[in-house]
Amino acid sequence: MKVNKKMKTSALAGAALLSLQALPASADQEYLLTITRPGHLQVIDMSTNEVVRTCDVPGKFGTGSIAPSPDGKIAYVLSNMTEDVYGFDIQTCDITFHAAQSQGNVRVKTHQSITVSADGKELYTVQNPVRHLPDRFEVMEPQLAVYNTADGTDAKPVRTFPVDRRITKIAATEKGEVILGGADIKAIDVNSGEVRMVTALQSWDRGPEWLPPDAFAMHSQGEQSNEYIMPYVTAKFQDDTMNMETAEWWWGISRVDLATGEAVRQEIIPFEFIVFNFISDPRDPNIFYGSFNTLSKHDITTGETLALYEMPHTYYDLNISADGKTIYVGGTSSDISIHSSDTLEKIGSIQLSGDMSTSDLRVATIRD
Amino acid sequence: MALTTHNKKRVPLAGPALALAVMAAPALAATEAGEELIRNNCLACHSDTGNSETPFSRISEQRKTPEGWLMTINRMQELRGAQISTEDKRALVQYLADHQGLAPSEAEPYRYLLEQDTNLVESGVDEGLGQMCARCHSAARFSLQRRTEDEWKRLVGFHMGQFPTIELHSLARDRAWYDIAQNQTAVELGNKFPLITPEWNSWKAAPKADLTGRWRVLGYVPGKGEFTAWMDASKSETGYQLSLEGQYSDGSALSGKGSARVYTGYEWRAAIEIDGVKMRQVMAADAEGSVMDGRMFNTEAREIGGELMAVRDQGQPAVVAVLPAHLKLGESAELTIVGQNLDGDVSLGDGVEIEKVIARDGDSIRVLAKASGAAGARTVSVGDASKDQALAVYDSLARVEVTPANALSRIGGNGGEMAKVRTVYRAVGYAAGADGQPGTDDDLRLGYMPATWSIAPADEVAAHDKDEKYAGAIDASGIFTPGDAGPNPERKMSANNVGRLTVVGSVSDGGNDVTGEGSLLVAPQDFVRRVLD
Repeated sequence: MKVNKKMKTSALAGAALLSLQALPASADQEYLLTITRPGHLQVIDMSTNEVVRTCDVPGKFGTGSIAPSPDGKIAYVLSNMTEDVYGFDIQTCDITFHAAQSQGNVRVKTHQSITVSADGKELYTVQNPVRHLPDRFEVMEPQLAVYNTADGTDAKPVRTFPVDRRITKIAATEKGEVILGGADIKAIDVNSGEVRMVTALQSWDRGPEWLPPDAFAMHSQGEQSNEYIMPYVTAKFQDDTMNMETAEWWWGISRVDLATGEAVRQEIIPFEFIVFNFISDPRDPNIFYGSFNTLSKHDITTGETLALYEMPHTYYDLNISADGKTIYVGGTSSDISIHSSDTLEKIGSIQLSGDMSTSDLRVATIRD
Repeated sequence: MALTTHNKKRVPLAGPALALAVMAAPALAATEAGEELIRNNCLACHSDTGNSETPFSRISEQRKTPEGWLMTINRMQELRGAQISTEDKRALVQYLADHQGLAPSEAEPYRYLLEQDTNLVESGVDEGLGQMCARCHSAARFSLQRRTEDEWKRLVGFHMGQFPTIELHSLARDRAWYDIAQNQTAVELGNKFPLITPEWNSWKAAPKADLTGRWRVLGYVPGKGEFTAWMDASKSETGYQLSLEGQYSDGSALSGKGSARVYTGYEWRAAIEIDGVKMRQVMAADAEGSVMDGRMFNTEAREIGGELMAVRDQGQPAVVAVLPAHLKLGESAELTIVGQNLDGDVSLGDGVEIEKVIARDGDSIRVLAKASGAAGARTVSVGDASKDQALAVYDSLARVEVTPANALSRIGGNGGEMAKVRTVYRAVGYAAGADGQPGTDDDLRLGYMPATWSIAPADEVAAHDKDEKYAGAIDASGIFTPGDAGPNPERKMSANNVGRLTVVGSVSDGGNDVTGEGSLLVAPQDFVRRVLD
């Protein structure tokens, strides 16, 4: 029966194809999300590339970090100088969630680290608290804070666990862990607080021929491929004299499969220009795109740059449609540049009401 | 009986004890007044420790320059809500700098920061401190502070609280930055720059000179040139009233009035308006109060300034300088001996013939002179007064050093909030010295020389980007003015008018042009204006 029904549907779809060419193959609706100054959540319909909604974000601009819920309906935004998290219904702009992390004389900052559990029930942040005493600051230990997303606009952490310092981007796996991007990539069990090493970066042991990597991520990377990408820069020396002049410089990544929590670390392409963010092609895990002053396309099996497009200004961030065909390049200024993933040629542009500066460029998918 | 015994014991002590009390009285009164100021203005947040050695939490465990204390109080006002009147603020800076300042020898290696000379690449900075601290601000910034180890640790806490992303910066995220800062760097700073030092103990106890009087002043105003002047300093309630009269080397007059404060017994800070331009003087007086040395610059544009020195008239003859400080062998040239109470026979040293005395008085002597004999430095004397190495006699100009060797200019203006930050260039000449090789230790410094100025792209990339066209221009007096702020649609990616340039100074020496080069980075605006970088 089921098969029949499917066949019927596809037959119908085939018949309708000529007249309904503009309709996407799936009725899943993709929205591109970003934050613009002074404090707006921009909701962009990726089928029309129009801004369909602009939600006012309370509080002073933070860094524009966004975490969409897995059902694509709620966007969690880090605001108030990276102290507060607000959850927005992206279809109405209603605020469904608010966590003021700072309490009393303890000021809590979150360095990009927000993510939502695979079932959408929990929100995770990494908190960096400092106690403001009358005549001094007391630096406190960072922690993973777990919030119930159902707790509304006065949410308090329901669990906390100690974590390392210097954690930036985090992502929830389908295995009940949160990937912590810091000096090394680690994963924390959100129920027990147990931490395991996922990829050793700063503490890698590759001998004197490899420079310890500089790994840093401010933005979401790889969500359309259900993965977490931490890029890094390293150098391979010719011998143990660590001669920087003759070293080969490489971009590398640790990519964590968010379904399994398993990771691969590898050098992917020679360091020839700055790439601020990498994403992979949802159709082919070996094809990568990067943005900064250029939009670039790479085959990481050969280290080859397949295409290069000179951008008219710097774009920190990029993302891609689920079908892998369209790349959105944003961040920094007030325009999102739209490109064909095939040729990297520019095919469109979206003008926003303010600068994105360091904001995320995320995709929320409301499934059919 | 007991009383008598006590009285007898006391009598011989009374004399010296009383004398000490009299000497200490002003200091004691100042301490009481200062502590009262701190109580009134600071104890809403700071606490009374009950320890007379360090009576106030945090405040008593630090020593700083006047600028350092000013920055701290500015921060308390701007970020911590302290309500302090202008009058109390001035008095607090005065008190704190006087009682918890730096000894002259402690401040000496880092005076460039106080003098606001930012076109200088710091050298000799410890690698660890360079990476942990001096990657964001100058090494002089922390080297001009003294703290207990605990207080250095609290400074780390301040950095973490005030700049929450500090541990994520490049050169921080590659290490356990906070742990290193707290457990290694703060400890190292506590050892290297401790609160209590013999230098400070000794300076605290030393008598401080009165700087009242007439000062023979030598200085340089960019665009105007070198000048000589007399500056009168008379006592005022808070320091000194100043008047300055003099002339530039081209004969034009300069005149100014202002006031000065002296901190820590030797830190001279003056605000003086010279021919309608507000200037600041930052100098250090020597222990005797006879010589001051430092820099004078525009109040509104600190980069527009030059060296400044002052020698106090103590009724004795003195040769202060010879202008210019060089004379080429075989050539007749006009020289001016600058000094005070100049009287008696004039000598410009071995082999230098004074062909004619053009004019002389007690302040200066203008002569036409011609040199023969060997190249080298000469002692100049007038009567009983003399100055060693006051005049360099040279055969030929071997090299030109462009100062600053490395400079940072900043685009600005164009309707933006920040003014352009210019760069002032000067050329220093050198003869090759006895070995005939320029660039060696025995080179003979000839002093500042007039130069013609030009700019060129620093390298192929800068040439490709036409940095020399967009980044700015240099005028005949050696002042580089950077380009306008804001995106420039003519440039690749609408880049602003930043650039990397080579500044070329060319000095003519008997038909030969000798050139020197400086490296200039024209950078975007710096939107934070600090008292000290």
